[in-house]
Amino acid sequence: MLLADFGTTYCKLFDTQRDTRARVVASRALEPGFQADLATGHNAARRSKRAVNELSALARGGRRLISADSFVLLDCGSRDLKFVRFAQGRVADMGWNAECGASMGFTIELLATYYQLDYAAMAVPQNGFSITCGVLGMSHIFDAVVQGSSEEEAVARFVRGIALNAHRFAGAPEEVYLSGGLCNNPLFVACLPCTVHLLGRFVLLEGLLDLLGHEKGHIQL
Amino acid sequence: MAEQVGIVGVPPLEVIATLNREGARIFDLDEPQPQVRVPIEQSAAWVPRVYCAILRTVVLNAMLLELDRIFIDVGPGKCDAALNIAEVLDDMLAIPIHRTHNQDRIAYGFPLCTSAMPMVEKFTLISKSVQKAIPHQPREPCIPLCGFWGVPPRDFALLHLFPEQTHVFGWTRCMENKTPADLELERQFDPSLPTVFFTQTFCAKSALAHHLGRRHPQALVIDCDVSPSNSARAKIEAFLELSGVPSSAGALL
Repeated sequence: MLLADFGTTYCKLFDTQRDTRARVVASRALEPGFQADLATGHNAARRSKRAVNELSALARGGRRLISADSFVLLDCGSRDLKFVRFAQGRVADMGWNAECGASMGFTIELLATYYQLDYAAMAVPQNGFSITCGVLGMSHIFDAVVQGSSEEEAVARFVRGIALNAHRFAGAPEEVYLSGGLCNNPLFVACLPCTVHLLGRFVLLEGLLDLLGHEKGHIQL
Repeated sequence: MAEQVGIVGVPPLEVIATLNREGARIFDLDEPQPQVRVPIEQSAAWVPRVYCAILRTVVLNAMLLELDRIFIDVGPGKCDAALNIAEVLDDMLAIPIHRTHNQDRIAYGFPLCTSAMPMVEKFTLISKSVQKAIPHQPREPCIPLCGFWGVPPRDFALLHLFPEQTHVFGWTRCMENKTPADLELERQFDPSLPTVFFTQTFCAKSALAHHLGRRHPQALVIDCDVSPSNSARAKIEAFLELSGVPSSAGALL
């Protein structure tokens, strides 16, 4: 059975019969008629036989991967933010910010390409911009550069602002489990003002496996 | 020809009884009316776009329906914003705008709120019941699977996400009980039921929804503007599913 997490910019695939490791494919590289059996994500409804709610997949995946009874799981993807908070094993709160957190991961990736930056080599800035949205936040970068900041410093402050916003959105927890593509961005992770446990970008696929009743450990994260 | 009367909120029972006796045709201006087929944006000529969608709907309906008069409740059973909208309606229309302060205390009960019935039908009947000054038909209460707390949403599409066995709380329950200013009833909830606390975006009741949601052990607090967004729908769907509530289709999602 082919499982998919159809993200806005990247698609994560896992074939339950053939794969031991999930694959990441650029969404724009998928054939127009590409179909999964069971999927989640923005394009799941049109690209799969059965679509699963993203928050539900996230929560199920988190419950499989995290041994604690009470935790906050924050998913930072290219287009939106999602979080689920469990308390004593039950879902206590959740949120999905598709509007005000718009395109933050995508914008962070675009900025690195445009300014030719390596996030692994960038220092955490002392202050971040006060921003909630990737698109609107870009004007802060341009303003800071005009005022004499280096491009690298301005982008770092942008990333810090995005990280602080994501942390607030999740209820400002002292400890957070992070999933999604931004797990791979060391600067973003370092800018989160709390203890961070990285789960990688296949948590929603784990949620789909949970829905199918598969045992844990199918996907090598 | 029957007099055409608009109502906003829940006017006192005495007013409704009089209108019923006179054979008036009542329009609930809080709800989108089928004969008003223009975008809600047209109300922006009289009321800000960043405003309660229900009250924007009131203004839109009042602009386009040919009404003879309007009863608008501006007391504790409605909201402060309605008081201001009454001023707008007065300026906008050349018909009498009657401001009422519904303090009715006779409880008529809320059999629809606790019945098993598709939620859209349940809310439609509750909204219609406001237009009649007669007791409700008795109904067997169901064993609930979850709770909905709040006002009737501006867009009933939101209600399709809930199963038939949803118990309704909040101001909707006050409406059916014909005591819209009964804060004691409005703030009741069942802590054993996973409950969605709903308000319209920009509504003052969001403070009460957040307050009660914090006290409830398994709550989702949510607001919607004109229509529910995809993320709002997804939050409700996931919340109900992860709380073990079957979907409105009867099976787990």
